Amino acid sequence: MPPKAAKGEYIETVHPTPAKQFQAPAPSPEGPNDTGNKISRRSQIHGTQHIILGGKTVIQAEAVIRGDLYRLPSTAASTDPSNPPPQSNAPSVAITVGRYSYISKSAILRPPSRLHRGVHSFYPLKIGDHVFVGESAVIEAASLGNHVHVGAGATVGSMAIIKDFAVVLDGAVVPPGMVVPSWCVVGGRPARIVGEVGEGYGVEGAEGGMARERYRVVGRP
Amino acid sequence: MSRPFPYTYISCPCADTPVLDPARKRRSRESPQKPPPERDTEANEGQDDAKQPANKDDEEDEEDEEQTFDPRSPRSNFSLYPPEQLLYCEDCHQIKCPRCITEEIVSWYCPNCLFETPSSMVRSDGGRCGRNCFNCPVCTAPLAVSTIENVTGNGNGQGPWVLSCGYCLWTTLDIGIKFDKPTNIRSQLQKMTDSTTGPAFDARSRQGSRAFGDLKSPLSNFASVDEQANPSERDAEQSTSKEDQTPTPHLGAEARFAALKNFYRTQISETSNSPSDSLGSEFGFSSPGALNRLMSLYASSSRLSGLYGGTKKPKSKPPVMREALTATEGLRIASGDADSALVERIASPDCGWDGVASLIQRTEQSPDVRFVDELLPLPVLLRTKRAKRCKSCKHILVKPETKPQSTRFRIRLIALSYIPLPTLRPLAQPSATSVSGLAPTPDLNALTPLRPYHVLLTLKNHMFDPVRITLATPSVTPGIVATKVTVLCPQFEIGANSDVWDEALQNATAPLSDRITGMRGGEKVPEAGKVWEKGRNWTTVVLEVVPGTLPGSQAEDGQEGDSDIAATFQKDEDVLEIPVFVHMEWDAEAQLEQQNVGKASKPDDLVARELAYWMVLGVGRIQASL
Repeated sequence: MPPKAAKGEYIETVHPTPAKQFQAPAPSPEGPNDTGNKISRRSQIHGTQHIILGGKTVIQAEAVIRGDLYRLPSTAASTDPSNPPPQSNAPSVAITVGRYSYISKSAILRPPSRLHRGVHSFYPLKIGDHVFVGESAVIEAASLGNHVHVGAGATVGSMAIIKDFAVVLDGAVVPPGMVVPSWCVVGGRPARIVGEVGEGYGVEGAEGGMARERYRVVGRP
Repeated sequence: MSRPFPYTYISCPCADTPVLDPARKRRSRESPQKPPPERDTEANEGQDDAKQPANKDDEEDEEDEEQTFDPRSPRSNFSLYPPEQLLYCEDCHQIKCPRCITEEIVSWYCPNCLFETPSSMVRSDGGRCGRNCFNCPVCTAPLAVSTIENVTGNGNGQGPWVLSCGYCLWTTLDIGIKFDKPTNIRSQLQKMTDSTTGPAFDARSRQGSRAFGDLKSPLSNFASVDEQANPSERDAEQSTSKEDQTPTPHLGAEARFAALKNFYRTQISETSNSPSDSLGSEFGFSSPGALNRLMSLYASSSRLSGLYGGTKKPKSKPPVMREALTATEGLRIASGDADSALVERIASPDCGWDGVASLIQRTEQSPDVRFVDELLPLPVLLRTKRAKRCKSCKHILVKPETKPQSTRFRIRLIALSYIPLPTLRPLAQPSATSVSGLAPTPDLNALTPLRPYHVLLTLKNHMFDPVRITLATPSVTPGIVATKVTVLCPQFEIGANSDVWDEALQNATAPLSDRITGMRGGEKVPEAGKVWEKGRNWTTVVLEVVPGTLPGSQAEDGQEGDSDIAATFQKDEDVLEIPVFVHMEWDAEAQLEQQNVGKASKPDDLVARELAYWMVLGVGRIQASL
């Protein structure tokens, strides 16, 4: 059980018992769910069986995570036989979040969707390790790499790909389908590449490497 | 400043070794700078006998000379960098900022498809992606290739295809362009826009091809080393665009551009009068000969002759180049009513404001483009991966892997591996009423004047040697708002970054205890001369900060506030930034070359090293009133 039992703001998943609501019922593709996630009781998480948290993930209050928007395997199979469906195994995963990633207050994670040959279908949203998603940001990307920083109020459009060590500035709107290369800083509406982060970005404890510290302070008095 | 409080910046010492100009000398009283490097040698000499007094002297010297770093000085803007942006040259033993490095291109890649473009192709592609990557000419968002055939069935990849913007919903249909295949869009587009005879897009295509010529030349300027005709291309190109503003139906832009280029080349070779005049040679306009020629043209006029080689008599007048005269030479004659036609179109109700391309949109397009429906999709500009070298010793500091997708480096000498990483954290207010051990941390965006705050400065060592640190700060911060700062423990040691496994273990345990003690601030009281906390490779010390009062605030009672000071109060003057001088010493293993190293070389192959730099701690913003 979590140390701060009943009244704590955060549900902390503990080893080895499956955490209450955030465990995929069937074993997830990545093996047993990792633990130490801190999930605010005031967050709204839908479709928990389609969400994989990598462990030590923080989900803050009022964050919305739409695991219920997973890809329907039947539709996928019937409508596009040419395209290999991304998940043929297990229950389809809608959202994957890596270790030490931090979903701030009021952020929204929503799997990307696309109208493909007249069929609207969802695709998985993959979030890497050490990712920071700022307050009330909306993420609809296909993937966020490791050490990605998404600023407060930013929007990442459908099927966008943010590579490792990229920074999305506060309030930026990354247009759908955009690819942000590694080490780049994007900002503006629509987002453009406005600069690059330094080579030391992501070093533990420095800018971009604060994920562990962020995780640590969550839920402490 | 751009970062949220608290932040730390490190000043690169390169800002202090420029050529002194007299103007700066005069100003140096009011905006003191970091002393030039002689103070380092001073410290080196002192090292022999006793370290502590030497350092003391150092600090005192500094204060006497009033040469503390001023974060508000206009020059400081150029030397302050966040720690992660700094590099370190192992040969110069110095911090290197983006201003004291040179860059060289390792590879070119398209930021959209992340494919590498071979450098031989970069110029021919105009520095832009040659595949299917386009940016929206209206809003710059990337364009997606999509079919307009509304097939719901199993129609397998049927065209026609368009480029569409997911942000502003612009599509190439707006300019009447469709593609037959979803691949190789750029060459398709180029063909479409180059064919001047095409009846469908007559006006458009002409400009389109021009647009591609325009896209190409300013970019290929940056392309690579092997540029020869390129500057001349550019010049010729500029003159074209100035010369003729209206389209002629005869030549496409590419062809006209080639014609003009040819024409000017022959002109140059015809008019170069001396063999030494290298204008006609392949070096073209950018050669020193060209400059010579221009200068001699001007020097013959009276005013400049005194300036440039006034002693020499001007030689015979060089023959004058003529300009292009016929359409085959690339001339395009503006038709007289072109402007009025433009105006008419702008004024017509079906164009309106929305139909006119904005200035920003036009900068990326051909100069003829005036209207939104003439905008062409822009191939995505390539980006580069760059290696970085020290400017003074040319040693390579950063070398990324060439593959665009890789985030790894072959060489990466970042400053953070050498200088301690500073982090700043406010300590829970000691005077706060203890609400069950939950002392409130002060709001850094509203610091109360004249109230002591304690700030924890943690320095984390990433080197494999223990480091001795001396911190020094002016007792009163520079600027209008005089904040008193005391480093409670200015001298301390930081342990070595000994083992990765240690670190892993440490990460689990140490910061926890750190946190506990930090939070129960009531139990632990900052003491002068004692470090606050110490870990394996980090040490935390306490800074006591008493924010000064802002001029014009209520607390202004004679001590600081002059009315004229209040008048000079500028933006962000209330930001509390503390300059801290960091002097670090450590014993490194001797390397082969140690000429730059401190003179006191110790036995058993240890060399005393030292490094000194300024850093700036952004603590917070001072409240206007008490």
